[in-house]
Amino acid sequence: MKQALITFREGDKVKIECVHCGKNFRKRLIDLGLFDGAEIEIIKNDKYGPLILKIFNSQIALGRGQAAKIYGNKI
Amino acid sequence: MEIKSNLIIGLAGNPNVGKSTLFNTLTGAHQHVGNWPGKTVEKKHGEFTYLDKKIKVVDLPGSYSLTAYTEEETITADFILEEKPDVVVQIIDAQNLERNLFLTIQLIELGAPLVIALNMVDLAINTDQKINIKALSELLCVPVVEMDARSKKHLGSFMKAVFEKAFSDKKADKIKLTYGTDINDELGKIRQFLREKENNVTEEEINWTAIKLLEGDYRAEQKASNKAHYSELKLLVKRSIARLHKICNKDINTILARARYGFIKGLSEDVIGRHTISGHKKLADKFDHIVTNKYLGIPFFAIVAWVLFQTTFKLSKPLMGWIELLFEFLGANLTSLMATWNAPTWVSSLLVDGVIGGVGGVLVFVPIIGILFLLMALLEDSGYMARVAYVMDKFMHRIGLHGKAFIPLILGFGCNVPGIMATRTLPTKKDRLLTILINPFMSCGARLPVYILFAGAFFSAYQGWVIFSLYFLGIIVAIVMGFLFKKFLFKKLSSPFVIELPPYRWPAIKGVLIHVWERVWIFIKKAGTIILAFSIIIWLLASAPFGVDYGSQDSLAGSIGQTISPVFRPLGFDNWQSSVALMFGFVAKEVIVSTFGTLYGIDDVEDGEGGTSLSNALQDNFTPLAAYAFMIFVLLYAPCLAVLAVVKRETNSWKWPLFMVGYTTAVAWIFAFIVYQGGNLLNFG
Repeated sequence: MKQALITFREGDKVKIECVHCGKNFRKRLIDLGLFDGAEIEIIKNDKYGPLILKIFNSQIALGRGQAAKIYGNKI
Repeated sequence: MEIKSNLIIGLAGNPNVGKSTLFNTLTGAHQHVGNWPGKTVEKKHGEFTYLDKKIKVVDLPGSYSLTAYTEEETITADFILEEKPDVVVQIIDAQNLERNLFLTIQLIELGAPLVIALNMVDLAINTDQKINIKALSELLCVPVVEMDARSKKHLGSFMKAVFEKAFSDKKADKIKLTYGTDINDELGKIRQFLREKENNVTEEEINWTAIKLLEGDYRAEQKASNKAHYSELKLLVKRSIARLHKICNKDINTILARARYGFIKGLSEDVIGRHTISGHKKLADKFDHIVTNKYLGIPFFAIVAWVLFQTTFKLSKPLMGWIELLFEFLGANLTSLMATWNAPTWVSSLLVDGVIGGVGGVLVFVPIIGILFLLMALLEDSGYMARVAYVMDKFMHRIGLHGKAFIPLILGFGCNVPGIMATRTLPTKKDRLLTILINPFMSCGARLPVYILFAGAFFSAYQGWVIFSLYFLGIIVAIVMGFLFKKFLFKKLSSPFVIELPPYRWPAIKGVLIHVWERVWIFIKKAGTIILAFSIIIWLLASAPFGVDYGSQDSLAGSIGQTISPVFRPLGFDNWQSSVALMFGFVAKEVIVSTFGTLYGIDDVEDGEGGTSLSNALQDNFTPLAAYAFMIFVLLYAPCLAVLAVVKRETNSWKWPLFMVGYTTAVAWIFAFIVYQGGNLLNFG
């Protein structure tokens, strides 16, 4: 069952299934390595504010609103 | 083989990989800063000499990919295709090879004469990756060398690779990446079409154009749109995209990304040997845990900001005092020198009041800007600033601003000039513009002397609270205006928040110092010239017609003051002196205090707290309510010339600084009106 990124907990490893966003932002996410099929790790997910994701070997902070529109499966 | 004496190297790479550090290491102080033609993106280039060859280095904007959706992103591809550099060096952070290779692939596809410099190899070994450099080079068909961006340790082997690449006959590298049958079929169709319709283009350019057209790249579209066969080509591309979407059920960019990252994954499995993480990183992780903690993050930042400000003001205060003394000394000496030469008084006044007064008024800000930028650059370089943006994003998001906009706004409390300069870190033009437009409402240090003078004269018992209320009002107005701009001016603004949190590092001191010097020099040069011109204009207004006392009621400035003063009647301060003071405050806000001194004929008002005679004069001319309305007006009205000069530079047009003058003054009038008339209704007058 795919879930939105904001529902995962710290330490979860997630395989991205789909990304809902505009064309330009999709490009920015792809450039950073976040796209359908990518495997990432949740480093930080507080109840509010942006999430911190580990994509490849870098930490990326992503706005909560956007993270709610990205879905994936726990590995 | 042609041996050229001058080489041009372009430096490309992701943000935070040490690109600027390498640029500084290579070129040292031989740098030139300007803008890319027609764009607001900064262009840096520099020179150095190696083995009798003069080498020009161009620092390309840090980017994650070459696909451009905005004009600004086309710079790197434009540079490589049009200026044809001898070598393009991509700096890669060895700790994050896979992500960096995404750009590498596109540089190879573009046909760039590429050399890869692996930076931070030692750190990568310390963490968890060991890279087989030889295998990487063979798999990519690109020379790969180890390079320490901070030192010249590997300079020899690096330059050898650069020279070999520059003087090799065949510069373009072939990449073994294929996109799979479906995409290749579509690419083949587009290539075939381009081959038939266009002459004099290389096969590499056709390949590149075909891929970029599929991706919807801005630059490729722009170039194609001039051609006669554009509509036909566009239709072809559109059909290809639709067909691929049908087959794969994904959008075209995701399909291409999967192919590219798939290639990278396969490659890195052959190249990276992994082992376990060592202790150093754990310490950094612990620190990170505190500064990004949901409860501790903001208090921690508040402490950092407080220390930053205290240090800046404590350190810059004596320096500013010395600069003031220096200019007073110069002014006094020049006056006596002029007297011995029997120069006409107007010449002496022009030089002393106009030129020295004006230039001195600007240069006095240099220490504060220099120190603020030094400390900021240290924080930025260490990696902490990205965490601040993360911590503040929630709050900033609520008021419609980008998380990164917080830093420029905080800086505005010191001085709006560095605040506006710092908006360069924001991702989009619109985010930058919005943050620039509301920045002047952050009450800068130059407005403080005005508050101290007025609050001391009228509200001495509550001085601290009155001043605090003004700072607070500034913040509220900034939030409200930000909200309104977002609602009406930039409707499509909101760029979602995404930011890389780079690993903590020791700042590269040399780079930081070069950076600070650049900022200070830009300020001196650009703001200095404009301010000098305006200072002379204001001097003329205050001195004309011939023979009047400087800045008196009979001068042109005085009569303008009398003409505009009725505008301020509803605000409670329609005496001509305050109109003149506000007019002069346009040069620099603290000039308001000294202008009142001149106009009321009271010397020695440098120290607002001690200027009791000036306080008495003010008490005769203002009611307390009018004084408060006046302070609000000073807080909110048109920013000083230095700020406008910087806004002009940062937005590349006169439109925005002029708009800024208009709207801030309107806002100031409205707020002062509400406070004064409201106060009168409630019998506070």
